[in-house]
Parts: sequence; structure tokens; C-alpha cells
Amino acid sequence: MSTLERRTFLKTSAMAAATAAVSQRAGGAAAAPASDGIHWDKAPCRFCGTGCHVKVGVRDGKVVAIAGHPDAEVNKGLLCVKGYHVGGILYGEDRLKHPMLRRNGVLERISWDEAIDIAARKIMEAPERFAIYGSGQWTIPEGYAAQKLIKGGLSNNHIEPNARLCMASAVTGFISTYGVDEPAGCYDDLDACDVLILWGNNMSEMHPVLFSRFYDRKSRGEKITLIDLGTRRTRTTEFADHYMEFRPQSDLAIANCIAQQLIERDAWDKEFVEKHCAFRADADLTKPDLMGVAIDFENYKQRVAEYTPEKVSEISGLPVEQLRLLGDLFADPKVKITSTWCMGMNQHTRATAINRLVHGIHLLSGKFGSPGNAPTSLTGQPSACGTAREVGTLCHALPGGRLVAKPEHREQCEKHWNLPAGRINATPGHHTVLMWEKFCTPTAEGGDIRTILVQVTNPGQSLPNLHKLFRAKKGLDDKFLIVSDVYPTATTELADLVLPAALWVEKNGVFGNSERRTQQWFKQVEPPGEAREDVWMTIAIARRLYDLGHPGMKDKDGNFIFRFTDDAGNEVPVWEYDRFHEINVDRALYDDYRPLTFLKHKHLAPYDVLKEHTGLRWPVVEQSDGSFRETRFRFSEFDDPFVKKGNGIEFYHSTTNDGRAQIWFCPYEAHPEEPDEEFPFWLCTGRVLEHWHTGTMTMRVPQLRGAVPNNYVEIHPDDAREAGIGNGDKVVLATRRGELELSAWINGRGRPPRGSLFVPFFDQIRQINLLTLDAHCPISKEPDYKKCAARIRKA
Amino acid sequence: MSGVSRRDMFRVLLGRGREEVPQAPPAAPVASSGGDELALILDRFCLAWQGSFCSVCSERCPEPGAIVVEQGKPRVDPGKCTGCRVCHDVCPAPRNAVFLVARKARGGMIGKTVDETRPEEPDHE
Ligand code: SF4
Ligand code: SF4
Ligand code: SF4
Repeated sequence: MSTLERRTFLKTSAMAAATAAVSQRAGGAAAAPASDGIHWDKAPCRFCGTGCHVKVGVRDGKVVAIAGHPDAEVNKGLLCVKGYHVGGILYGEDRLKHPMLRRNGVLERISWDEAIDIAARKIMEAPERFAIYGSGQWTIPEGYAAQKLIKGGLSNNHIEPNARLCMASAVTGFISTYGVDEPAGCYDDLDACDVLILWGNNMSEMHPVLFSRFYDRKSRGEKITLIDLGTRRTRTTEFADHYMEFRPQSDLAIANCIAQQLIERDAWDKEFVEKHCAFRADADLTKPDLMGVAIDFENYKQRVAEYTPEKVSEISGLPVEQLRLLGDLFADPKVKITSTWCMGMNQHTRATAINRLVHGIHLLSGKFGSPGNAPTSLTGQPSACGTAREVGTLCHALPGGRLVAKPEHREQCEKHWNLPAGRINATPGHHTVLMWEKFCTPTAEGGDIRTILVQVTNPGQSLPNLHKLFRAKKGLDDKFLIVSDVYPTATTELADLVLPAALWVEKNGVFGNSERRTQQWFKQVEPPGEAREDVWMTIAIARRLYDLGHPGMKDKDGNFIFRFTDDAGNEVPVWEYDRFHEINVDRALYDDYRPLTFLKHKHLAPYDVLKEHTGLRWPVVEQSDGSFRETRFRFSEFDDPFVKKGNGIEFYHSTTNDGRAQIWFCPYEAHPEEPDEEFPFWLCTGRVLEHWHTGTMTMRVPQLRGAVPNNYVEIHPDDAREAGIGNGDKVVLATRRGELELSAWINGRGRPPRGSLFVPFFDQIRQINLLTLDAHCPISKEPDYKKCAARIRKA
Repeated sequence: MSGVSRRDMFRVLLGRGREEVPQAPPAAPVASSGGDELALILDRFCLAWQGSFCSVCSERCPEPGAIVVEQGKPRVDPGKCTGCRVCHDVCPAPRNAVFLVARKARGGMIGKTVDETRPEEPDHE
């Protein structure tokens, strides 16, 4: 057989096998073609912030096939390994199917009526000590309902998303620089840039489809340069033209070194800076805040002057030539540079600072506001932007970029929700780390959080320093943990009340991805057993509170705060589950939320427009012909309709109210837990391609679990040899907070330099977050999962 | 961005993107036939070859050097592969990209075996 014939032969048999598998599964005749009887609809992928769109194939009430959506601009039909298996997450054997209450230490099945009643009574006992903890996987309507219940109903601001652990620093970086959150650029920059700089960003592992989009240009022979600025070699490094390995924390010095060179060489973009920028720094470095104080250019110049390539080479370990290469690129007005980052910059004890600095070098060099020139943060969750950031499900925020501390913002929300004046509390609630610390502290010792409702996230595995922030709850009898989830998790292990939830296409939803793209989907299959929608749970709890007489559950006119009507104007009691699907509650909540997005020019598309697309990037503005147009490049006159004609670039939410963005100076500062004699290694944690976050979904998909069944510790061969550790050996990894037995992987997928270790966090059995540090950025309050001091020995 | 590059994007996947991926558990692993087989990675189904990313087979292969990875794309070195099937069992591609083919002719087999047709280009475009 010739090579060609053999290949064709293999192809054919594989296709036949796959076809047979599909028809067997659906109970159909073995000969039936795979596509027969399959109904196709669309949805965004359930996993990462890239926001690929998939086609979902349903037959006989089950998701039987998945395909990349060929019309989706984000992924053009491509998916990563997780995306191809996304349907499998619905069908793990241990789906939670019934509400359960812990009695004498054991979870026992109860009815939904009981479950909702217990939750409401717990809240009623001390509404001010109740907290909601959700995530960037909340759909927009889910987050909006939770936000309205707690802030508008209970006058309590203790609501946080896990995005505090993930995107909070990007938010403070954007707000202190531009006065408004979220990237100005979008993924199209990857199609236009000459240079892509990844700041501690392993894009091919974490945002694989996005990286394909860039890499595809390279494989077509385009001259584009990839710079991997990282602290260990990764899958992405293999594709890089320049790998720049820096000492953890010294990214601050590297960014300052680029600014120093631009000024030293007189190569900064004077026209851009004079027209569009101002300079800023922290007033008091020991107490940094969000807004800082204005400084002049001379002051800025003086402060960056010490970051010469020679000095920064000493701090960072990068050779002077590499630092000069970065300087050359930013100094060249013809080179288009896109910078991207994710957790490497955000999970950092000086996270707001490094975010500001990267924005700063793009502004100083004028590499901003045209296709290919952009500083862009990537999100890890499918709706970190859409829900956590835009709906503002954070303890200090209100929907649409508003703040609880601002009287006019509270007033706007009270008016919009038809609430009596003064209903919304002016004091921000507890941020994530504090919320869980208070929950795990006995009430008598000041632990002022008593009941927490957790939705769509797994803090029992994802919080840092888990002994202190989660496990210490055990034995505190007056603390009550309510967990809505789809599978048993590390969090349900300590839950007092477990609520079984509908997942992904078992409910309607709207997500917002990294590039401001809002995506909508409809429910396509029934949830298993008695599992129900999170948004229904929130409304049902609110209704029970209303029945129990909580005054906050009524608006100014005495109506229930979640009042929905049908087309004829009659109220539909959606809190009764058998009436819940009479109207599209998602749509009603989204329609109610949408006008709140206009204040900060984050105009979302109407629901009916959204449902016709695979997502649209806000601001989505109505045109004179009644159609809606998305915006790819914010603040740039050629694309953003809110920039005044003739201004070219305009930062219309400038913190200084003069259309200018802020170029910040922030110094390099050492990490609070640098390696020392006792704990001589840096420990970094993160994700792997095959698993998403804590693995609760991906570990239920046999192909993904089989591909990477457990976590491990990556170690440099020389360090391993010195410690007598061989590949695959059991080792004990320890930090000041605990120890963990893992197996060692030498020259594995990632290759840390000497003195560094890396462990993924998806493994529920070997939880690395028992060891991580809860030290956080003073401004964003986001903890540093990427650096702490550790030691390792053979077990 | 120009219309041309839009159309070209992910061209490596044209045809593939429109295929549905069955959402079903993989078939149970089959025991190794003890060295008379050889793994072949089919680029058509392999995530790494198709513009997505994957490195699972080369990471889990027990035979050093049996799976060679260049620019992120794996291929099997027939001289080193023992036919142990590990790569096949762990491959997470929507359609398993690893095929085990006979090294020696089996009774009734039409055409030549993989070993008999060596040396030749690896099975990739
Ligand atoms: S890159 Fe992210 S959004 Fe796209 S398929 Fe993979 S997990 Fe899903
Ligand atoms: S069959 Fe075994 S030896 Fe051959 S490539 Fe696969 S894993 Fe390696
Ligand atoms: S495990 Fe399968 S999909 Fe992954 S690189 Fe190997 S052959 Fe390709």
C-alpha cells in the first residue's frame, strides 16, 4: 500500500468508528449517519476566558456532539482539547441531583422547599453577617441577581467573585491608568502586531486557541516576533524567538528599564504623551492607594533613571542585551507591539504596580490605540469580564463600573431598582481573603461572617493558604456554609447545605470574555435529577426572605424586588420552580441590567441582537439604520464612537477629567517571602492545558483525566540530583504553611530554572493551595499564588 | 484586519472545524500485543498537528525518544517504539490520533506492513 493509500484507509476506519460510537450511544441503528437526528445550537465554551464558541449537538435530550463554531471570530472552528470535550462535563457519574443538609456530620437528602427555607432562615438570623461568594463563571444574569439580592435587598456589601483571586489587579491597573476597566484593544491585535510580548503568560497552555491565532501567522511565514518573558520554560517557550527568563518579582524592574531606555534615548513618543497622558505615582509607598498623586515628567524621569539595563540586569538576571533589545523594540516607532498577561502579573503582591507599568510603557512609546499596538490582559474565566467586572459583583462595586462608596452611584442603582433612598450600604464589604478569614474565625473573636452562599466556584480548593482560609471552618458550629455546585468538591466537603445546580447548556446564559465580547446561549438539555438554575435559587431564597418579612425584599412600592411579568403584564411567580420557565428570566434580568452599562460607555447589545451572533464586543452602539455595531478598538477615533471627532485618541473616563491616561511610576520592591536558607526554592502554581481550574469538571471527562491524571512538581534536573530525587520519585514539598506529597517531574512540560518549582492546582487529592501564601496586593487585594518560599526532599 | 487573512486563519483546520466530535467516553484500552505493533500518529486527528496544542503522548511514552516532538508536533520513531500502546490510551484527541499498526505481516493481510515499507517519510504532510 502506498503512503497515500494507507493514510486514506486509516482515515476511513477512524471515521467509521466514530460514527458507530455516536449511534450506539444514542441507541440508534449502527448504520445511521452521525448527524442524523442531531439538533445543533450554539454556546460559548464553558471553560476559559478566550471565549471560543462551540456548536452543541443534542439528540434524545443529551449532548452527543461538539464542534468548533466555524463562524465564530474568536476561534473560527478551532477548539482546544478541553473545548472538544466540553459536553462530557455534564455526564460525570457523581452529578449532584438532590439538595442535601448535613445532619450529625452526614449529608442527607432534603426537599428543595426545605433547602430554600433553611437558607433563608440562616440569612434572616443575621443578614449583615451573610456573604455571597461567586465567580467569573456566574452568567451575567446570575451575577446580577445575586448583586441585587445582597446590595439592593439586604443592604449588605459582602459579595465577592473568585475573580478577586484572578482579575482584581487587572481591574485596578486599568482603572488607575484609564479611569475605566477592561482592555482598549482586542484579539484582532494579535493579527496585526509585529511583536507579541508575553508577560509571564503561558498562552499556548492557558489560552491555546488564542495562541493558535498568533502562531498561525508565524507558520504562514509572516515575520513576527514572539518574546516570552517568563520565570520558567513552558510549552510557549518552544515557539518564542526570545526567551527572557527573569527572577520572580523583577518584572517591575524590567518594565521600568524599558521606560528608562525610552527616555535616555529620547525615543519616547512626545506627541502622544503631550496630547494624551499625564504622570502619576503613589503618594506614600507604605500605603499605596488606587489613585496616587500627579507628578511631572521631570519627577518621573528622575525616578526611572536608576533602572538602567546594567542595574536591572543584576535585579532580574536578564542579560543587558535582552534588556536593550526590549528597549530597541519599544523605541522603534514602526514596530507594532502587543503585550498580553494573565495571572503572572495579576497574582503578585505588587500586581497593581506591574499592571500600571506595562500600560505605562505602551503609552510612553505611543504603542497604543492602533491595531497591533495594545496592552491587553487576558482572563482565565469565561465571564470574569462579563459578570465579575461589568456586573461588579465585588464588595466595593455596583453594576456598570459604579462604586458603593459614591453617593451618586448608589442613588442611580436605587433609582433603577426602584428602591427607597439609602437602601444601598455605603461601606464596602469584605474582600475575598478577609471574607473567608472572618468566616473561619470564631464569632467571639471577631469573625463577623456567619453564613456564606457559594455559587459556581470551589473555594475549598482555590483559596490560598487553605488551612487558614477554609479548613479552619471545621468545628465552628455557628458558621453555616451553603454550596451550590454540580459535583462533590473540596468545598461541599465542609458544606452544611448542598444545592444541586444546572450546568452550562442545562440553563440559559450570557458570558463576557477577555476582549469585551458578550456571548449568549439558550438551555439545550434538562439538568439531571432535581438540579436547578443558580438564578432560580437566588430568586427563591429572596422570595422566602420576603415571606419571612425581610423589609429589603420589597421595593419602594411594596413589590417583590424580583418582579417579572409576562407579555400581558401579569406577574409570574418564577420562584415557584414549575412556573420558572414560563418566561425567559435570563432575558428579563439582562434587559434590566443593560441600561446600567451605559454610564461608563460599556453599552451591551440587546438580548435579541446577541442571540443572533457568536458574541459582540462592547460598546455595541445603535446605528442610524437601527443596526448595532461592535467596537474593536476603544478610545480610538477611527473605531470608538464615543471619541470626539478630531481628537484621535481620547480617554473619556480619565481619572483627571481631561481626556488623559496616567503613566505611573512604581518602584521595584522585593517579595515578602523570598527564598531563604530554610525554604530555598521559589514555588509557583498554575493550570495545565487539559484541566480547568480545580478540575471539578475536566476530571469527570475520561479523556482529559486520562491525559493528566494527577498533579506533580516540576523541578530542575540539577536541583533534583542534589536532593537525590529521580524522575517520578515521591517527594515532600513544604512551605511555612504546610506540606504535601507529590511526584517529581524532571524535564517535563514546564522546565523551571534552578531554585524554582512548579505545581498545578487542579488536583483535589493533592491540594497545593494548602501551601500557598495569602499575602496580597495592597490595592487589588489579590493574593500571590505565583511566588512563595518552599523546600523539597525525597519522601 | 484584511479579509484574506481572516479567511486564511486556522486554514490548517478547514474541514475539521465543521466535524462534530462525539461526546462519549473512550473505548476501553486493549492489551499490548507484545512488540509486534508500532504506533503511528495521524496528523489528521492529532491536536498538535491541527493547530491546537497537545503533548500528552510524548510526555507519557515510557520509551525515551520513541516520540520525537518538533515545533510542538509529535511523530513516532519506528526504531524506538515498542508498541506498548500507552500513547494510544492517553491520547485525548476527539478522535484518537494514535493508531497501532502491525510490524509483521498477519495472515491474509493485503499489502506490506509498516516495517516492510521502511524507510520512508513519516506519516505526516
Ligand atoms: S481555548 Fe478556552 S474557550 Fe477555547 S476551547 Fe479551549 S478552554 Fe474553551
Ligand atoms: S506505543 Fe509505547 S513506545 Fe511506542 S510511541 Fe506509543 S507509548 Fe511510545
Ligand atoms: S496525545 Fe494524541 S492529540 Fe496529543 S499530541 Fe499525541 S497524538 Fe496528538
